[in-house]
Amino acid sequence: MKWTACRDLALRIGLRHFSSGRKAVSVVGSGPSGFYTVCRLLAKSEIPLNVTLWERLPVPFGLSRYGVAPDHPEVKNCEDTFTRCAREFGKGLDTRHTFTFMGNVSVGKDIKLRDLLDTQDAVILSYGCSGDHVLGVPGETSTSGVFTSREFVSWYNGHPEFAGDNDKLKSFPWSKVRNVGIIGNGNVALDVARVLLSNRIPELWSNTDINPEALEALNTAPIENVKIIARRDFIHSKFTNKEFRELWELERYGIQGIIKPEYLKLRPADLESGDRVFKRRVEMVSEFSLPFDQRTKKNYKKHRPPESHRYWEMDYLKTPLTINSNSKGEIESLTVCRNSLTPSNRVEQHLTETLDYDVDVLVTSLGYGSSPLQEFGPLQIGFATNRVANANGHVLDTSGRIVSGLYASGWIRKGSSGVIASTMSDAFQVADAVIADLESGAPPKDRVLKTTGLDSTTWEDWEKIDEEEKRRGKLLGKPREKFLSASEMIDFIKDNR
Amino acid sequence: HGHVHKPKVGEELNVTFILKDGTQRKYEVCAGDSLLDIAQAHNLDMEGACGGSCACSTCHVIVDPEYYDALEEPDDDENDMLDLAYGLTETSRLGCQIKMSKDIDGIRVALPAMTRNVSSSDFE
Ligand SMILES: Cc1cc2nc3c(=O)[nH]c(=O)nc-3n(C[C@H](O)[C@H](O)[C@H](O)COP(=O)(O)OP(=O)(O)OC[C@H]3O[C@@H](n4cnc5c(N)ncnc54)[C@H](O)[C@@H]3O)c2cc1C
Ligand code: FES
Repeated sequence: MKWTACRDLALRIGLRHFSSGRKAVSVVGSGPSGFYTVCRLLAKSEIPLNVTLWERLPVPFGLSRYGVAPDHPEVKNCEDTFTRCAREFGKGLDTRHTFTFMGNVSVGKDIKLRDLLDTQDAVILSYGCSGDHVLGVPGETSTSGVFTSREFVSWYNGHPEFAGDNDKLKSFPWSKVRNVGIIGNGNVALDVARVLLSNRIPELWSNTDINPEALEALNTAPIENVKIIARRDFIHSKFTNKEFRELWELERYGIQGIIKPEYLKLRPADLESGDRVFKRRVEMVSEFSLPFDQRTKKNYKKHRPPESHRYWEMDYLKTPLTINSNSKGEIESLTVCRNSLTPSNRVEQHLTETLDYDVDVLVTSLGYGSSPLQEFGPLQIGFATNRVANANGHVLDTSGRIVSGLYASGWIRKGSSGVIASTMSDAFQVADAVIADLESGAPPKDRVLKTTGLDSTTWEDWEKIDEEEKRRGKLLGKPREKFLSASEMIDFIKDNR
Repeated sequence: HGHVHKPKVGEELNVTFILKDGTQRKYEVCAGDSLLDIAQAHNLDMEGACGGSCACSTCHVIVDPEYYDALEEPDDDENDMLDLAYGLTETSRLGCQIKMSKDIDGIRVALPAMTRNVSSSDFE
């Protein structure tokens, strides 16, 4: 029997594997948390498992593929680990466990969470955060030129819901954009600033898998100034030193960072009580703010910068109040007020001390928001602010009791913060808890999950897409050229089965 | 993964890993192999999520102070990643950045109890 026929048969019968005695585990979402959960389960479980990984998109890897910046390819190397794991257990090289990827299936919509809970011995929610937080200021949703960081990031990363068929940003008049405001103070805000300021430098982007349509549009923008606006002060910066250094180091291309001295007046107490991360950040600012020849350490004198022509500026202690537009509904400026911090670190807004910033684009970078699946209501699954209600990964119902057999890992468990390393260790800890429960719990449910009618993609399908993307990329000297539309992916898969 | 080379007779270098449960593993290795490669070749619990590119901090090791000074100082990139390592100590390093050499023959490193970072990893 050809494998396609096998697959059809398997789909008709449903997802029950012929050698019973295995416990069935479903993981929802194939980003780093879902995949690390899968890898850990398969590596550590003493009892045999049939693991199914469900993914809303036709292709795997979540924010590793669609969040992490294209100029950080080394961060995406976690995908190699996921691929090894999928191959080892998906192709029967390991006879204890099985692994099945079910792409293009949205849990809660195309298949019910209830059905997973009824048939699987454990279900782990790892579906991340795919929503937005809003500022809640007038003009935010109605003004042209205001984007959330998730829209912007998903666009330049070629996410099928924001690129290709669904591209809304491409047609924006980028050629008129000189001044950009970014609201937020985390790494995503710095990623966005870096892309906006440096996209015209071919050596930084032409050999990446950035969405070429986004790059082309951005290349027309004569961006001169990017202001990164935070409610609190420098001490409360949320970005990591790695991303901060990258921004400073753009000076070698004539892109200069500015932090007004008034924001850097640190008290000796701040310096003393500051941890290593903070002290290193202070050193970085102090050195990079000096003229090149006056810098004291050699690692800040690697490349003498040319004259600057583009600037990024960290602007602190401001709260956005209104987004102002012209008669055509296009953004013209942002009104902010000054803040101060109380001794107990609360933000105090001075509503009468306002400033207007002229901006042509505003990106709100307030963190990715998560939402409950539709079925959480009827299933009485609890949802806290920006995360599934849980105790150490055990999902809780609306009365705070553990829902047996249901777990959560990654950003949907903790909220949208944490790098891949912390997401990984979270996934490992949750997987270990799942294994402990599976090993001590009831015998396998051994019930059939009906998957008829699902137009799902398999791991083999993804590998063909992956190969094709790499082939197209290679012709252009890039690691890959992504498919930009889900329909294009599905057509390619159908043609190549 | 974890590609290591077989040392030539007479050129073996020694490295000892102290695992999370306290057990010690000693290996004879080749100059040039990184601690990450060695750990992975022997199936030790070191993830190396970024494949040794100094971009993830999941290869964090704590170096025996007696050997720490024999290592070349970490560069900015390594320090930036160490910022994010859980349970950082004065002698913490990234396993992927330490290559075996005669200077550190006999080096002892401990794998930290957890690789979880709770404070400074905000990615909003
Ligand atoms: C812009 C940005 C840049 C980043 N850069 C870095 C970096 O440089 N270095 C670093 O270490 N970390 C970085 N991170 C953090 C890193 O991406 C996260 O730690 C990690 O991706 C979180 O993993 P997750 O699996 O919890 O969520 P996600 O990666 O979001 O994965 C969730 C998956 O679930 C799927 N899904 C959603 N709903 C459903 C459903 N109903 N049914 C089935 N599937 C569903 C989604 O499509 C997605 O594939 C960055 C994050 C962002 C946003
Ligand atoms: S393996 Fe990622 S930093 Fe060493």
